[in-house]
Parts: sequence; structure tokens; C-alpha cells
Amino acid sequence: MSLAHITGIGMVPFGKHVSRSIAGMAAEAVRLALADAGLPASRIGIAFFANAFGARLFGDLTLGQNALWEAGINRIPVVNVENACTSGSTAFVLACNAVAVGQAEFALAVGAEKLCVPELGLINSGATELETQLGLVAPASFALRAMRYMAESGTTADELAAVAVKNRAHAAKNPLAFFRGPALSVEQVLASPVVVDPLTKLQCCPNADGAAAVIVRAPAAARRMTRAIDVRAALLCTGSYENPQDLTHWETDYRACRMVYEAAGIGADDVDVVECHDAFTIAEILHYEALGLCAPGDGGRYAAAGHAALGGRVPVNPSGGLLSRGHPAAATGVAQLVELVMQLRGEAGERQVEHARVGVAQCMGGDKAGDTKSCTVAVLAA
Amino acid sequence: MNTESIEPFAAGIFTAAADGSGELLGAACTACGRRYFPRRDHCPVCGIDLAARSLGGRGTLYSFTVVRVRPPLGLPAPYAVGYVDLEDGPRVFGLLDPDAVDDFAIGMPLELRVAALGVDVRGRRCLRPYFAPRRGA
Repeated sequence: MSLAHITGIGMVPFGKHVSRSIAGMAAEAVRLALADAGLPASRIGIAFFANAFGARLFGDLTLGQNALWEAGINRIPVVNVENACTSGSTAFVLACNAVAVGQAEFALAVGAEKLCVPELGLINSGATELETQLGLVAPASFALRAMRYMAESGTTADELAAVAVKNRAHAAKNPLAFFRGPALSVEQVLASPVVVDPLTKLQCCPNADGAAAVIVRAPAAARRMTRAIDVRAALLCTGSYENPQDLTHWETDYRACRMVYEAAGIGADDVDVVECHDAFTIAEILHYEALGLCAPGDGGRYAAAGHAALGGRVPVNPSGGLLSRGHPAAATGVAQLVELVMQLRGEAGERQVEHARVGVAQCMGGDKAGDTKSCTVAVLAA
Repeated sequence: MNTESIEPFAAGIFTAAADGSGELLGAACTACGRRYFPRRDHCPVCGIDLAARSLGGRGTLYSFTVVRVRPPLGLPAPYAVGYVDLEDGPRVFGLLDPDAVDDFAIGMPLELRVAALGVDVRGRRCLRPYFAPRRGA
């Protein structure tokens, strides 16, 4: 059973691209994906373009048509997608569903973002929301989880920092990552300035500019292509927002992971490589638990033991993750898929996970009532 | 501090007494029992009209953190925030006493205070509720 196949990937390296536009970066990622798939632009039948912050930062709207026209794609249905940090992965879910129901043979998902601008400030979940007006900023929502989780599980600051050290070491092997150096130690991570207790600067993902694109094809047609990667399942969940929420996990994260494993017919033991939403060190630890890589409360020890590192049990964020690849919000969810496709094709170079057959991409966006606004999870297979 | 001429950051979601204490205004559903903060007109689950009710000002600290980078909304630097389990209601997010940012601990009893704190979305000084360590606790 297959939802779709990924037949092409393209990405503008994440970093600071001061002189480039959102649409221009997106168009480059699309052209790279078309070249990778060996496909003319005219074969794309529908496109989903993701951007989260262009409206707020630049007053832009509906950029997808601009970006795609620049890449030679026109006339087809274009959908602009905003779903906070899952904007890109939501575009991917929509693209997969479009080819699965036969709306098009080829569909495109592209995410692009520019965040390296002085006026960004601290990201929040919407300026008029009550919690924002009472001082809730994105790093604080993760720090509140970290404080409660550490108190309940006995997880230490060193164990949190181990995630940042690992992801920097991974990024050193990824030419598409923002922070490929310097290598970090636990001591250096903890000695960087505190942003929000207990999270230091090096435990918070850096804002970045960049774009990523994937092309998906209806599964029956793609089976003949040797480099096509199977999308076994891809789904999007939102929360119940019942009160109270337990801050030591996201209920939506657990539910989405359980649902995607069931849809893909796999369990946590089948997973070889993971890309997850490590916006902050605590987040990656909580995602290990939601993905079933370890028991609830053991995530910090799992990281410190090296189980999530390249060469460990199940490498998590071999790309460097949000923490070191950088986080251009709407591009991140697509970049995770680009990384998994490289891993499952065996084309990940120095950071190749050995015998990688099954990969999971997990992404999350926005805060609401102590849960996330949006969670996407996809299972890919070679 | 004379707070008479300063408006709340949002209308109708908390009350302030002359002594600086306050209560949060929420709502309760007579059908399902869910309690909401802030106050809202309809239960999203049952769809029925809700009546406003005070959720009081006493609670216990569920989790907290201190924001140590440049604050938004003219809040003091640093400032503390947390989730509080109200004695009479839901778990709510709120500001914590800016004069006690280093004094908080999970499980601590808290009481609501109201003071001029930061600016509203239009940049005007405004009243905000915050939880402080409960006196006499």
C-alpha cells in the first residue's frame, strides 16, 4: 500500500540569503527538483506552495503563483499553504493526496521562507491571541515543557544539551545545513546565554532563509522508476485542546505518530532514520518518546547515550535538524523529506545512515491551549 | 500606583480590586461541565450559550520559566510566565510576578494580582493580571 512516490527533490541550502526573494529561492528549489526527477515543468499537474511569515514580515500574499511562474510552471491549480512550522509538510500531505486520488500524475510541494530580517523578533502563535498578549513567545512554550518534564523525569541540563551537540555534529556532514561548525561540547551549549530557562541560545534553532521542493507521483506510475521513494503514509493532525494538557508531551504528537504507523503498517522497531521538529532540544527528546523510540521520560538519557546519533540505534536528524540546519519555517517540513529521500536513496554521503530502508519525518507548528496547532508525520520507504 | 486611568490589556477577562488583587473571568458549561478561560459565549463542544463566572485568583504553579531575552509588549526584562492550575477552574497560562522572577517553584501556591504591566497591542500602558507567591502560604 502506497500513497505516492517521491520522484524529485531540490533544495536551496539553508542560511542567510539577504539579497534573495522568497519566490526566487522557491523557484530554484523547484527547478532543482524537476532536474532531479528528469521532468519538464509542463508535467506538474498541481502545486502546493508553503510560506508562513511573508505576510507578517513583508506584507506579501499568495506568493506561490509568482514562485512557480518563475520556475516555468503556470496554468495549473496552485494552492498557497500556511500552517505555521508545518506549512511545508502540510503542502506535502496535500500533494500526496492529490496524486493518490488521481487529480494529477505529478504534484509539487515547495516551502520557502525568509526569516533573517532584523524586524522578526520572537516568534509567537498569533499577535492577537490571549497567551501572546500575556507574554507567551515560542521559546517559552518549549521551556515550560522542559521545566515540567525535567521535574517529573529527572532529566538533566546535560542531557538536553546532548541533543544540540549531536545535531551540530550531524550538520558538519551536510552541505545544505546553515551551521556546519564549529563543533560543540555540552559545556559550550550550556555556557551560551540563557534565552528562556532552562534553554540556552545553542538549544534554540536559528532562524534561516531557504527553500525546498519535492515532486510526488501517483504510485502505480512511479513504481517503474528506480530512484522513486515510496510514501507509505503521510498525515496531518490537530489537537483536541481539552483542558488541562500535560506539558510533558504533546497529545497530538503521540496520536499522529500512532496513526501514521498504523496507516503505514509499521511499528517503531521498523524505523531506520528520523527527521523530527527539534525546534529546541527539549522538543527532540519529547519526539523520541512520541515516535516510540524510547519510553516516556527516558528521552534525555536516550540522547545522552548516543542512541539518536549517526551510528546509534536510530539516527535522528542526520541533516543537523532545525538546531543546526537552520529553520526557515515553511521550508523545514519539505527539507526533512529531502533529507530522508537522500538517506533512502543511499545518496547522503558522509552522513549516510547504513541500511536505511524506512524513514519517518515528523513536524509540528504553532501553540494552542498547551498543545500544538498542527502535527504532520510521514513514513517513507526505499 | 494609580491604575484608575489605565485600561486592561483586554476587556472583560479579569477583575481588579482596590488592594491590587484580582480574579479571572471565565465560563462554565452547564451541559458538559467544561470550564473555560478566558470567558466565551458558547461551549465549542456542546454549542450552548455559556454564562460568565469568576474563576477566582488562587492556584498552584504547574510549570514556569523566565524569559531572559528582549521582552515583547514592553514587559520587564527578565519576565516570568507559567501555567497555573486554578483552584476553581482550568489550567491557565499567565504572567508571574515580575518582582519575584527567581522565586518560583513547581507546586507553589499563587494568588492573582493586577498592575500596570507593559503595553497593549496599540502601544498604550495597560493593566495585566499576574500570579504572585500567595501571601501567608
